[in-house]
Amino acid sequence: MATNTESVDLVGDEAATNLARAALFAALVGAFAYVSFPNPLSAGVPITLQVLGVFLAGIMLGPVWGSLSMVLYLAAGAVGAPVFSGGTAGLSYLIASPTLGFLWSYPFAAAVIGLVAHRGTSLSDVDAVPTPVLVGAMVVGTAIIYGFGTVGFAVIQYDPWYASLWQAFVVSSLAFVPVEAVKIAAAVGIVKNDAIAAA
Amino acid sequence: MIAVSDLTHEFDGTVALDSVSLSVDDGEFLLVAGPNGSGKTTLVRQFNGLLSPTDGEVRVNGVPPEEDLVAARTAVGMVFQRPEDSFVAATIAADVAFGPENLGLSHDEIDRRVATALDAVNLAGRGDERIDALSGGEKARVAVAGALAMEPDHLILDEPFSGLDEPARRSLLSHLASLSADGTGIVVVTHDLRGLIDRCDRVIALADGSIALDAPPEAARAELPALNVHVPTSEPPNDEPHAR
Amino acid sequence: MIGYVPGSTVAHRLDPRAKLAVQVAFAAAAFAYTTPRGLAVLSVLALAVTRLASLSLASVARSFRVFFPFLVAAPLVATVQISPPAIDPEAAVYPALSSYRVLLVVAVSAAYVRTTTVRESRAAIQRTVPGRPGVFLGVGVSLVFRFLPLIRREITAVREASAARLGTERPLIDRIERVAVAGATRTLRRADRLSTALSARCFAWNPTLPRLSLTRMDVPALALAGALLAATLFRAV
Repeated sequence: MATNTESVDLVGDEAATNLARAALFAALVGAFAYVSFPNPLSAGVPITLQVLGVFLAGIMLGPVWGSLSMVLYLAAGAVGAPVFSGGTAGLSYLIASPTLGFLWSYPFAAAVIGLVAHRGTSLSDVDAVPTPVLVGAMVVGTAIIYGFGTVGFAVIQYDPWYASLWQAFVVSSLAFVPVEAVKIAAAVGIVKNDAIAAA
Repeated sequence: MIAVSDLTHEFDGTVALDSVSLSVDDGEFLLVAGPNGSGKTTLVRQFNGLLSPTDGEVRVNGVPPEEDLVAARTAVGMVFQRPEDSFVAATIAADVAFGPENLGLSHDEIDRRVATALDAVNLAGRGDERIDALSGGEKARVAVAGALAMEPDHLILDEPFSGLDEPARRSLLSHLASLSADGTGIVVVTHDLRGLIDRCDRVIALADGSIALDAPPEAARAELPALNVHVPTSEPPNDEPHAR
Repeated sequence: MIGYVPGSTVAHRLDPRAKLAVQVAFAAAAFAYTTPRGLAVLSVLALAVTRLASLSLASVARSFRVFFPFLVAAPLVATVQISPPAIDPEAAVYPALSSYRVLLVVAVSAAYVRTTTVRESRAAIQRTVPGRPGVFLGVGVSLVFRFLPLIRREITAVREASAARLGTERPLIDRIERVAVAGATRTLRRADRLSTALSARCFAWNPTLPRLSLTRMDVPALALAGALLAATLFRAV
């Protein structure tokens, strides 16, 4: 059957590559939600690698596609891909859960981390980014994640929310912030790893 | 019909293909053999414009692929070495529909093509199954169906048998044989000639980016060993079509 | 874990867009009426929705269990006053209602997850978000569903392999690095193979949109969403 080939608006090779990377990185962040390590600081709070995935999305895909990757992560989780903490899924986690601020922060954190690490919107060679810049980018990213997370928690759980920010921080973030240092250290090692540079 | 003339392809200054000329007729069953790194994949990826020649020319039905990528990619369907990484959907029919959807066809036409393609690889009625739960052989057949749904003139398969067990390999072979009998041109890129050399119309062997052999199968049998391509002893064609 | 289960319940046959509208409207109403009476009425509704999807409340609660510590701690912490130091039990009331409210919304959206295929969700996305952003979201979401199980299996295999070589004795940062490097490099390589395959299949910005049409069955669902939104607005005014 003859197809009118002129009417097909092909996705260019570069866009197809970026889209595939963004989608698969979103799946990787989802898979990282299942990977837990025992926490040396607090036995009751296992370390999962989701946030590490957000860091890597910003650093490896850059601000634009790293951020879009996290948008795909949220959209896929909202319609049922089990990618949120504990293998959960559903729109409720984005619109009603007290942890919604953490999820919504991911696209912003990935964008800011990418912007700082690559010093702009175009992708530079991550291997050449100085370690202090990488660490700084991830510290800012961590602040965004826990800032959004704490405010989100207060807005959902407390009334009036602004009067209970410290309670929200204690419940939602306090136990998790220290281990982010471990993930930042790991991320620096990952970015400088030869296998990543070759991929 | 695919016509390649004086094709040279370089990657970062390394010559992968050196002045290759070749034509593939409609309906022809062609085998592209040769050791790893001889340029087989680089050659066939020119047929649908996934790669563009550094020098020389490719024409698909008379038109260079880069002038009409959609025409080239509908005329030349491609099944990749790791079908696992080429699926876009979690279930069979949703994946097979991807190509026809991109062509902007009507829903009825898409449904018809999906059904025909699944039928051709003996997966009729299994469209709602999860790809993830299928065996390696079934995944390979879904990938073939995805390419067939474009209704290509030529179906290119790049190392389709790697990782398949013997029954799955025989099943895929028998499906390729019946597609060939129905008039679809088949191009198989492989270093594993078992069951193929008796079915194909012509064998090409590449060595270091050049065509070292272009011959009918009987003549090729004698010459292939000298080109580092192992030739299996003749085996009876598998007469159980659609074995799983 | 709650995931799609094939079936022929009423909820399976609804248009995904109608189901999404009900979820959003239900959440809005739950926020507007976070009172004992409001949540009691919404509990009945949430129960009815899960019934229509033949979903058990126990499985919803199980899927949600990692969040329980937060839901319990939030009201408890609210009772603590720093200056002057005191315990105020009344301060726990609103946070406790909030915690209960989450359960209801989670139950309603679990009904969507259980009864909606990826293909339907993709159709809903691409028919709601026009043009290239719609294709990006629709195809991207479909790819996440497709590749999540593959990447999970791969990471599990990497962890098992490194544990087998006494990998659990190594420092924590080292172990995290190993898993993440393996996961990220393989994911990027997969993505490159995938994008070649997408191009070969004429990946286009203007594909035929997946089939989807509202039917008479969707009228009650849309009416429910409308009523919930109206009640929310009524409260807000």
